[in-house]
Amino acid sequence: MTIDKTPPNPSESGDSSEASEASGSLTEMPGTPTDGTAPPQTTGAPAATAKAAAPSASSLMWARRRASVSRFWRQYRTHRAGLIGLAGLAVIALIALTSPLFIGGDVQSVTDAPGTALESPSGEFPLGTDQFGRSLLGLLIWGARISLVVGLLAAALSVAIGTLVGIVAGHFGGWFATVVMRITDWFLVMPALVLAIVLATVMSRSIWTVILAIGVTSWPTTARLVRAQTIAIESRPYIERARALGGGHGHVMTRHVLPNVMPLVLAQTTLGISTAILTEATLAFLGLGDPSVVSWGGMLQDAREAGAVSSGHWWYLAPPGIAIAVVALAFTLCGRAIEAVLNPKLGVSR
Amino acid sequence: MVTRIPPRTTRQPTRQRSRFRHFLASGAVATAMVAGSVIPLGPLLPAAPQAQAAPLTAPRTAPQAAPAAADGKKVLTVAVDQSIDSLSPFLAQTLVATSIFRLTNEFLTNYDPKDAHTIPGFATKWASSADKLTWTFTIRSDSKWSDGKPATAEDAAWTFNKMMTDPNAATANGNFTSNFKKVTAPDATKLVIELKKPQATMTALDVPIVPKHVWEKVDDFSKFNNDKKFPIVGNGPYVIEDFKVDQYIRLKPNKDFWRGAPKFDELVFRYYKDKDAAVAALQKGEVSFVSGLTPAQAAALGNADNIKVNNAPGRRFFALATNPGAKAKDGKSFGNGHKALLDQNVRKALFHAVDRKTIVEKVFQGNAVEGQGYIPPRFDSYFWEPSGSQTIDYDPAKAATLLDKAGYKKNSGGKRVGKDGKPLNFRILCHATDPNDKAVGKYLQEWWGELGIGLKVECLDNVSDPWLAGNYDLAFDGWSVNPDPDFVLSIHTCAALPATAEDTGATDNFICDKKFDDLYAKQAVEYDTAKRTDLVKQMQSRLYDTGYMNVMAYPNAVEAYRTDQIKSITTMPEAAGNLWGQDGYWSWWSAVPADGTGEASSDSGSSTGTIIGIGAAAVVVVALGIFFAIRRRSTAEDRE
Repeated sequence: MTIDKTPPNPSESGDSSEASEASGSLTEMPGTPTDGTAPPQTTGAPAATAKAAAPSASSLMWARRRASVSRFWRQYRTHRAGLIGLAGLAVIALIALTSPLFIGGDVQSVTDAPGTALESPSGEFPLGTDQFGRSLLGLLIWGARISLVVGLLAAALSVAIGTLVGIVAGHFGGWFATVVMRITDWFLVMPALVLAIVLATVMSRSIWTVILAIGVTSWPTTARLVRAQTIAIESRPYIERARALGGGHGHVMTRHVLPNVMPLVLAQTTLGISTAILTEATLAFLGLGDPSVVSWGGMLQDAREAGAVSSGHWWYLAPPGIAIAVVALAFTLCGRAIEAVLNPKLGVSR
Repeated sequence: MVTRIPPRTTRQPTRQRSRFRHFLASGAVATAMVAGSVIPLGPLLPAAPQAQAAPLTAPRTAPQAAPAAADGKKVLTVAVDQSIDSLSPFLAQTLVATSIFRLTNEFLTNYDPKDAHTIPGFATKWASSADKLTWTFTIRSDSKWSDGKPATAEDAAWTFNKMMTDPNAATANGNFTSNFKKVTAPDATKLVIELKKPQATMTALDVPIVPKHVWEKVDDFSKFNNDKKFPIVGNGPYVIEDFKVDQYIRLKPNKDFWRGAPKFDELVFRYYKDKDAAVAALQKGEVSFVSGLTPAQAAALGNADNIKVNNAPGRRFFALATNPGAKAKDGKSFGNGHKALLDQNVRKALFHAVDRKTIVEKVFQGNAVEGQGYIPPRFDSYFWEPSGSQTIDYDPAKAATLLDKAGYKKNSGGKRVGKDGKPLNFRILCHATDPNDKAVGKYLQEWWGELGIGLKVECLDNVSDPWLAGNYDLAFDGWSVNPDPDFVLSIHTCAALPATAEDTGATDNFICDKKFDDLYAKQAVEYDTAKRTDLVKQMQSRLYDTGYMNVMAYPNAVEAYRTDQIKSITTMPEAAGNLWGQDGYWSWWSAVPADGTGEASSDSGSSTGTIIGIGAAAVVVVALGIFFAIRRRSTAEDRE
């Protein structure tokens, strides 16, 4: 096989694919966080296992995955706050996903608005109406979709950039890492909100702009965390063995380092979502969101423009604000629990 | 568009843009209260304590907060939000600055507060020669500059001559002097202006007269902003004492003012970059006057004690402008306006699908008048409205027929497609900081969506760049109209087009129509009021028929003042008029302080509700903050 290759050889496509094929059956478990807790075993003797137990390899893998998921769940269950957060998220997600069934896009229509301007809460409009006479409860539910979508995508983008930068910098080291990490530092010290405002201002108004603006400003924390973890993992002996077996840069980064930083990344993503939702609300509140879509931050901005604060129309201001806080809190609780379960250093339950 | 705004004729964006800045500031602070304690972003955290402290400390630290200060001074405080571009009358174009020059410098003529007819100002009498080319103004002899020197015809002549000879001094008001041939002052009370051709605006020369002995020392008029040395010498009812950018402008009454000194001891324009903050300050009695209220704010203030809401017909129009194919004077077309809008039937169809009544009722909540002609009904002599078959009323069925006729038929998907098979989609330029633009945009999207036309609402903070480049299909447009309509009509003439595609013209919307231009030329030299009025109406009729502009509403001026601080104040026009942005100094000059130097203590019920709401929010925020602090501490060793 590839034994005759010298360790630090950059991967040629043939070699690496062969190598990954061999070891892949066991280690390729992105998203299955167990890898993080037990990395050394996963790469024990890839070639031998794969060849010897080819028919049972996949069943073995599935069994292992099941086991790790149930272990994860057992540990997660012990975190009461995490369960509360998860329940809250489930309810919110259910409402957001099923909202087209019971309210529909008509709730956004200004010409068909059922009420008069700024009605206080009543039986017909449990949360009152906005300045166009639209039901605020309907808008609140409808707005959940945008806020969640933006939060999820922006957090995913941010974590993806952070992971990529972190692994690459941690893996290669040297002057390359120095340059990349100084760029990261620069982003880290830049006030993220100001940068996001600038980006959102110069680009056209759409939710994609907001996602991009949040994504490209909030990745440095992830990058630093992932880089540290990458360096820690790469100092382990099995990485050296993988190199000795001919694993190139790409192989080491994707097959060994990535699965091991995944738990961290997962926890970071969950925590990042709440940040992203808040930043989205902030940008929309500052009038930098897409005015044609309903989002919670946008509702706050509309409320401000209508003068709801000084007029004492609390029912216009409070619900979107509370909704933002609840969702951000729910994601944070979940993220914290996941972090506690998956991060080996935080093994003790708090 | 900002750079092209003449004095007193303030187009929306000027206000909007400055408002945007305070939006950012106040919005960021307010959001930081919520976000700062929750977002785990380092840089935001320090902002949170500041933000929470701000509302508490601001009133105390602000200069001259109480309406009646400790020494018994009667202070009139006016909340403003627009930044001052310059304190040089030769440069300033914002509404706040030009309103202040009204207070500090005399103009040759003034407008009567009752019905805005021309009355004496710096000049007491005026007459034109038989050939209409020479005007002789008699300057009053009882006007003195605030440094004690007499104000004479020599000062007026110097002001006009400076504007005629130095292009930098003609930035703000050059349109008045471009037709002047020669200005002389044979003696202290006589000013003679010779014209190249007759000019109908001769009794409406809205140019602040400056003291020659102060201003002749200025070298570069393009850079001199007049904001270094205080007090600023003037001869109006007030004198500028002090000015801090975006904080306040303080004025003292001119005791020697010939019409009589103002009654207040001090007039302060204080900056509130957030309208809600200004309203809260009014409720607390920290300011005496707030303008530009939203319907909700006006309704809430209407129920409050000691506050009078003044809801007056405005002098602005709020219109929909279509790009008629932007052109320069050299004939070159530029910009990327939609070709379909060059078809009059398409434009008419769009306008037929605009329900102006709904806009007035829903967006302005009754605080506006339905749009008709170009000039608001407040200027009743020039007001014109379409009649009979000329009228473009709300009629979606007719709009659909017009579009069918123009060759834009609905396809199976319900979209209108042109002959090239492309669906009809327009963009509309909207001011990101104007809630009305956005709100009307929502309605237009739905009305035109019914017709099968797509509309993209492009809300920008800076609409000037795409506008000047002609890169728009439709736009929200609005101008304040003066008692003399010359200026707002001039911006639709071919002469106002930019010289080349790269230049900036005075044009509003690139309209160039021969018939309109002929009428404009006729009215500009017509000294007979009745005949000129008729010509102005014909021009509006022509403008209406070209179908490039659709005036949707004339928004009201909605403002409020404290009756326990201001006993009486003159509106203009006297019956149902506005207070802020008058043509003249009437409101602030006439304001009489209330007897009770009342430290206002009456908080309305609504603000109590707000306080409860803010309190609840603060509790949530603090709880989250503590929670995060604990979390961060407990994970401290894991963070890098």
